[in-house]
Amino acid sequence: MSEEIGGEIVPDSTRDLDIDGEVDLMIEDLDLWYANKQALYGVSLPIAKNSVTALIGPSGCGKSTLLRTINRMNDLIPICHYEGKISKGEVEITAKDADLVEIRRNIGMVFQRPNPFPKSIYDNVAYGVRLHHQPTREELDNIVEKSLSRAAIWSEVADRLHDLGTSLSGGQQQRLCIARTIAIEPDVILMDEPCSALDPIATAAIEELILELKKDFTVVIVTHSMSQAARVSDYTGFMYLGRMVEFNKTEKIFSDPDQELTKRYITGRFG
Amino acid sequence: MKKDVDLLKKKSRSQRDIVEKAGSAGLALSGLVGLFFLVILVWQIAIPTVIAGETGTIEPASEFIPESDYVLHWDYPNIDDQGNVKADPIILELSWDDGQTVEELEIKVVSQRGLTEDVYIDENGISTSEVEVGRKTKFYLKSSLTEQIEVKQISGPVPAADETGAPTVSSFVVSIDVDVLVSEDGIVFQPIELAGYAVLLVTMIIVTKPSEKSLAPLQKLYGKDKHVRIGSIVLAIITLALGGITVSSTLAAIGWLLAGIMVNRTTEGMQRLEQQGRTLKEVDRLKHSISNRDGLLMWARMLLFASTLFIPLAIDIPFLTERYQDIFQPYSSGIRSAFFGTIWVMTIAMVVSIPVSIGAAIYLEEYAAPSRTTKLIQALVTNLAGVPSIVFGMFGLAIFVKQGGIGLGLGPSILAAGLTMGVMAMPIIVLASQEALRSVPTSLRESAYGVGCTQWQVTKDHVLPSAMPGIMTGSILAMSRIMGEAAPLVVVGAAALVLFDPEPLAGIFGGNVNFTVIPIQIYFWTSEPEHAWHSMAAAASISLILLLVAMNSIAIILRQHFRKRLNS
Ligand SMILES: Nc1ncnc2c1ncn2[C@@H]1O[C@H](COP(=O)(O)OP(=O)(O)OP(=O)(O)O)[C@@H](O)[C@H]1O
Ligand SMILES: [Mg+2]
Repeated sequence: MSEEIGGEIVPDSTRDLDIDGEVDLMIEDLDLWYANKQALYGVSLPIAKNSVTALIGPSGCGKSTLLRTINRMNDLIPICHYEGKISKGEVEITAKDADLVEIRRNIGMVFQRPNPFPKSIYDNVAYGVRLHHQPTREELDNIVEKSLSRAAIWSEVADRLHDLGTSLSGGQQQRLCIARTIAIEPDVILMDEPCSALDPIATAAIEELILELKKDFTVVIVTHSMSQAARVSDYTGFMYLGRMVEFNKTEKIFSDPDQELTKRYITGRFG
Repeated sequence: MKKDVDLLKKKSRSQRDIVEKAGSAGLALSGLVGLFFLVILVWQIAIPTVIAGETGTIEPASEFIPESDYVLHWDYPNIDDQGNVKADPIILELSWDDGQTVEELEIKVVSQRGLTEDVYIDENGISTSEVEVGRKTKFYLKSSLTEQIEVKQISGPVPAADETGAPTVSSFVVSIDVDVLVSEDGIVFQPIELAGYAVLLVTMIIVTKPSEKSLAPLQKLYGKDKHVRIGSIVLAIITLALGGITVSSTLAAIGWLLAGIMVNRTTEGMQRLEQQGRTLKEVDRLKHSISNRDGLLMWARMLLFASTLFIPLAIDIPFLTERYQDIFQPYSSGIRSAFFGTIWVMTIAMVVSIPVSIGAAIYLEEYAAPSRTTKLIQALVTNLAGVPSIVFGMFGLAIFVKQGGIGLGLGPSILAAGLTMGVMAMPIIVLASQEALRSVPTSLRESAYGVGCTQWQVTKDHVLPSAMPGIMTGSILAMSRIMGEAAPLVVVGAAALVLFDPEPLAGIFGGNVNFTVIPIQIYFWTSEPEHAWHSMAAAASISLILLLVAMNSIAIILRQHFRKRLNS
């Protein structure tokens, strides 16, 4: 089946795509509305385990919306409702009686706008860990240090762990949020434009982190930077006006996309 | 092995669910209690209030029927510069039975205050022939005889009088009575109490503005945190033992403990610094890592503030410490009963209204699904905040004061007044808290849910602390408003003249329910004809304002403390 948007013919299902290795998350026929306004139309895609999946597309096409549906963050928006199915192995994430706390603990998220807790830097990272385990002080110190180092911010904050997380600069806050997310060791990490507020050095560090994270975690990342998607991701999905236009291996998307629309977007001849 | 892990996971999950349920149940309960009060109130306003009459017999006040009262007034010329009484005893001659029975009564005036003993007269004569009376107390002769008794003063100082025969008053006694360190009851502030405050102050300064110089002496205390802790506890106990359980000694004892904890935290932080290979010189740059001290500082500041509030009481300014009120002696009267009445009414109102209102606000804002009922409740609360205070007085009269029907029968007591004022404050606090909760950014909730918080954890750990400054402001505003209210308490039954310290729980456990508060006292004093009372009323107004300022200062400290954690 196919459909016409903006004068282009696009397939409306990308779920049957072959991916290497195991499927971690399966998103099937996801329709989503904010009140009466539909934001996602029949989005389907598999997300491979221990790989990086990038979502690209113009502003307002529904990337964040899709990401936020995966860990049911959209449930917090009263006007938002959806149909379709997301499953993680046996567990159906979109089930009515799903354990939301468990889902959000297993599927961590780094938000588009950095939002550290108004607590100390230390507590920002330690809070989630304390929530789920009973670590000793020493274990906690270790986890905090390790997470902050992995998020490429340890050297900047080692001296001031008891300062407020909100007193950091925007880019530092974003990295603190990354540290907070990896500290609780989820299976999947969703990152919504994690590098939009970062300088090139920190961006490089985060990209390195993403590549390293993929050994243990499944990563889904939203980005506006084509080069970043090309550098870090294994799979790329191109979204447009709430639809998943094309989803494929990253090399394929960036070298020889099937859709004309995708081609125009990644070469910058769009709009 | 895997099974064990699964089991553990399951267990911690069920624990989490229990905590979650308990948390929301508690919230729902406190919300419901608040709503219950509000609904009753609305119902009260909606239907005409019928207050049932009292039933039962009235007990006689005493077995004596005072046929003749002899009330003695005297001035203070009989006190010398040192405050000693130099007057001779007053000797009265009492005669009745047409001069058949004659008895003499010797009244010694002593320098203590508040000492009094009434003398009763019956067929057998007078109950005692010698009494000691404090120099500012009234003294009554009470008779159970049916005929008139003649009282004649045969010796002793004659009460001072002006041309019209009314006793005159002098105010010089006020200057004599201010004892800063030593009063007639002994030492006012124990030196150890003062030391406690001083040490706390010094510690606060060191912790707020750490510098190499000020921290250096603390280095000696490394590894001695146990000694410091035990030392501070021992000093606290000694303070309490010497000063007794009074306000100032209790505060000083807490001061010792706080200082101990703060010293320990600081040395702990300093050691941590040195482990990181830094010297104390870099302290300025690393202030924050010295210790996590915000909360402690806040408590220390509040303690010092609270103690200044009680200094006037401790150093014995008669205007504040006198409960004696004599229509002829305005300047020797005081607002002590009214002051304590206000403090108690406020305390009860606060304890009752703040937790319940915050609970109701959280429930309405975070938990209750938006439905027609919620909207209705919301509208009710909004309207209640604007209801005139006298209506709340009627409500208090019907619900708390009167017995029968829905009345709790607490009588015109502090408890009833506090509850009435609490209910009056509720809608204001609920609205302010809701506003504060609503202004907590969604992104904060999202980040909390994002690390796997339950709704209760989000509310308790993130939303509530962020909303705290707003909630505090609202609560304090509400408290300030009810502190100055007189109208509802006139209805509830505050008295014009109260000669005793109020008993806050008399409404339940029995005892003297009479009470008054400063605004009521001001109101009654201004309605006295004599000018002196008007100056007294002005003085009482100033006291009320000072009390408000003190309360608001504490609120500001609290608010800054919470806000600092959010904004810096
Ligand atoms: N809370 C909301 N309420 C109503 N509409 C919303 C809400 N959030 C998003 N939308 C709408 O849904 C559509 C998709 O938004 P989304 O945030 O997913 O875009 P995006 O692809 O992440 O864009 P960007 O790259 O700018 O972040 C937009 O048209 C937006 O207006
Ligand atoms: Mg977005």
